[in-house]
Amino acid sequence: MTIEVEWRDYDVIVVGSGGAGSMAARAAADDGARVLVVSKDPVGCSDTKISEGNATVRAVATDGDTEETLSENIRMAGGNLPVQSITDAFAKDSQSAFDLFRAQGLRPAIDHDRDGPKATPMAFGGHNHRRSVGLPNHGIAFAHAGWNAVVQGNGVDYLEDAWFLDLVTDEGDDGESRIVGGLIYHASAGTLIAVRAPAVVIAAGGLSTLFFPKTDTMRGNTGDSYAIAARAGADLVDMEQCQFLPFCIASPPSYEGLLVGEPASASYLGVLRDKNGKVILDSVYQRTRAECSAAIMRAVADGRGSPNGGAYLDMTGNKVLPRSGPYFMRYLETCLPAAYRNARQAFSKPVAKCEEPWEVRPSAHYHMGGLRADADGAAVKGQGDGDRALGIKGLFAAGQAMGGLFGANRLGSTSLTEVSVFGARAGRAATALARASTAKVDDAAFTPLIEATTARFGQVGTVAAATLKLELQQQAWDAIGPARTADGIAGIAGLFASLTERLDSVAIPGYATWNQSFIEFEELRNLLESGKAVAAAAGERDGSLGGHVRLDRGEISVFSTPYSTVVHRDENGGYVARRETRPRTPFKKLVSYKVKEDWRRLQSKWFRYLPASVKDRKLEARYQAIMGTPDGAAPEIEPGSDDAAIAEKKAA
Amino acid sequence: MKIEIETHRDGETAIVDYSYERREPNEKPMILDVLLQAQATTMPDLAFRYGCRARNCGVCTVDLNGKPRVACRARIREGDRISPVNTLPVLADLVVQRDGVARQMRDRLTGAAPGNDFNQDPPEDYHELTACIECYACLQGCPMHARNLAEGAENDPRDGYTYGSPFSLLKLQLLRLDPLSTEVSREQALEHAKALGLDTCKDCAGCKCGVGIDLMGKVVRQMLAAVGE
Repeated sequence: MTIEVEWRDYDVIVVGSGGAGSMAARAAADDGARVLVVSKDPVGCSDTKISEGNATVRAVATDGDTEETLSENIRMAGGNLPVQSITDAFAKDSQSAFDLFRAQGLRPAIDHDRDGPKATPMAFGGHNHRRSVGLPNHGIAFAHAGWNAVVQGNGVDYLEDAWFLDLVTDEGDDGESRIVGGLIYHASAGTLIAVRAPAVVIAAGGLSTLFFPKTDTMRGNTGDSYAIAARAGADLVDMEQCQFLPFCIASPPSYEGLLVGEPASASYLGVLRDKNGKVILDSVYQRTRAECSAAIMRAVADGRGSPNGGAYLDMTGNKVLPRSGPYFMRYLETCLPAAYRNARQAFSKPVAKCEEPWEVRPSAHYHMGGLRADADGAAVKGQGDGDRALGIKGLFAAGQAMGGLFGANRLGSTSLTEVSVFGARAGRAATALARASTAKVDDAAFTPLIEATTARFGQVGTVAAATLKLELQQQAWDAIGPARTADGIAGIAGLFASLTERLDSVAIPGYATWNQSFIEFEELRNLLESGKAVAAAAGERDGSLGGHVRLDRGEISVFSTPYSTVVHRDENGGYVARRETRPRTPFKKLVSYKVKEDWRRLQSKWFRYLPASVKDRKLEARYQAIMGTPDGAAPEIEPGSDDAAIAEKKAA
Repeated sequence: MKIEIETHRDGETAIVDYSYERREPNEKPMILDVLLQAQATTMPDLAFRYGCRARNCGVCTVDLNGKPRVACRARIREGDRISPVNTLPVLADLVVQRDGVARQMRDRLTGAAPGNDFNQDPPEDYHELTACIECYACLQGCPMHARNLAEGAENDPRDGYTYGSPFSLLKLQLLRLDPLSTEVSREQALEHAKALGLDTCKDCAGCKCGVGIDLMGKVVRQMLAAVGE
């Protein structure tokens, strides 16, 4: 059968309906654009929804927290890879962008002394100021706001169960590449929708599904953002920078990969041990996520890993002290409520109560790399920070889809700010571009894509895309996952080539309505593109830096000249990588940063060797300073009980 | 472990007997574990929704022996049957069309105007209602939603359902509780609730939430009281 094609016209298409997509759509519509949101999952069911629900809001707790301080904090944490105009934009807009969520019903607790949202008690990982705001119900509260922004209408149309397949470009009157629209598979209606639009904002999330285990990030993170942009000819930046969270569940299987802790939640005395009980990383609470992941993966590579491919996060030292121990449990619970809920559901009682070490392993989470863009999310190309005039006209990205903000490491609580800062910026910039666009579109530009897509329905084949996806996941973990080697990175090229060839042997039935085989096929195609981009960038980055951990090479020195990797797809579908040097933080600042960091580590090391009673009193005072007197202990859950299967206990 | 999985594809319905292999001797699998294993082995084209595996995203709801369950955090036992939720139209296998529920809220929602003072604490109930993960378990047994599915009801879910559900009332109640809502928008929210069929709730024994929100106490009775029922 032939699948029907419907035609539509809009000013701006927004791909994705999470935090970035919803804010982009709202901003564009409020500026007068006719907007279509295209979402493969139900509206708002995104990484924003499943997140811990903490956003960075500059100066929310302290007056000295200037835009410069925050912008520089992000760049230094990111190994000097972030683009300054982008980190400046983040710092400049962080307050107003948070209010975009508040305009849609997000209601944080208020600090009436400061007349603003109430800050969390501790600075989040890597932040040099306390500037995070948490919400009851975590990311779900943000999702309600984003959902409201899209579903209300007021200039925004939306499609859910709709896969945005590819961009359509042509060479405008000036001979330069520009967006003219895109093609959508609307699965629930069983139609293809060709949309003419001069601007597209890609806000379709990351690529964590390239790996397993992964955290609770959505299944739909199949690299669609990067694949769609790359196939249209865009540059991608820092693609080797995948963020793996170190402390995720290794077993039981139903919970594998879900987050149970962060470096900060390990508190003052948490350490990592190998299977022999030897400490492989101390002062865990002061480490970055990448350092913790690397320590675990090195132990696994040396055969000193735990039975389920991880290591042990030992927090018993915090727990056993008589005075401060009870505070620690309360701290652990309030610090990361959703993660601790996972621990209580998955682990045995003594383990969840930190009387025994936790078996943990890294898990794929967030992607720092993405579309190479300017501070409005517009695609750029060329030297240095790139130039919009050389990019693809009309192509924008926001949220995880966009690169250049975090570089090699993302600070805690920044992504929920990222989505609204750059969602709104991209939405407004796309509207301005659409308003200025007058060029005629020739529908013939859509023909090759429509024909190629239609031909896939009814493709005779011998293999299922879902099966190939699993094969890719497994090898991607080993080759371009949390621990990499030159041989591994080079070796996965063979799998990429064979899977690309086998795409034509995937069996796809001919029916149009919710064709799961076609959906799996498209997602596999996108995962493959993203995997190739990650591998090309990882091959170019010849030492460990942030989310890119090389077992066969040392750490790249902070004093060397920093560079970002830039990859693009060539006409044969291969990925070509090169470097763009970045300005380094002034030498004096770097030295002072290093000295401070070493001093903090030394103090915490020295602290561990104090007599237990002294340690106990000092810790009690520290906990009291953070959270006051503890009231009530965390509820205990028996694994295998109804409390551990929460949907069953509370079921209708 | 023997499990029955109901499949719907291209107009044909079937019951597939699937044998789940436990991955650990004492494993007590969740519904989603079975679906993922089936997809990885003998049923690679099985259509089902899932997202986060941690009961936050709300998309994986299926019926287990006829009762709606969030698949990632509800256990499954020998002989159980997995089928699509019976309150929404089936698209393929376990995937149903959810769109008609959310879409009925189009043009019924508002945002706060810029320039408002956002620094106001909402009442505690507000946060209780934003715990909703939109799993749509509440549609089961809801007489208001049933009116959408009744014989002769003219409904194209693609345009949004005519009648509401506990979910749509919850969204409207949030507007009523929001300290930033104007009196006019509070009134409007109530009018929308009436238009969506709030009168159906008068004689109803109560709705059931998939994540334990007190829908009757915090939503329905509040609204009924406001209209003087």
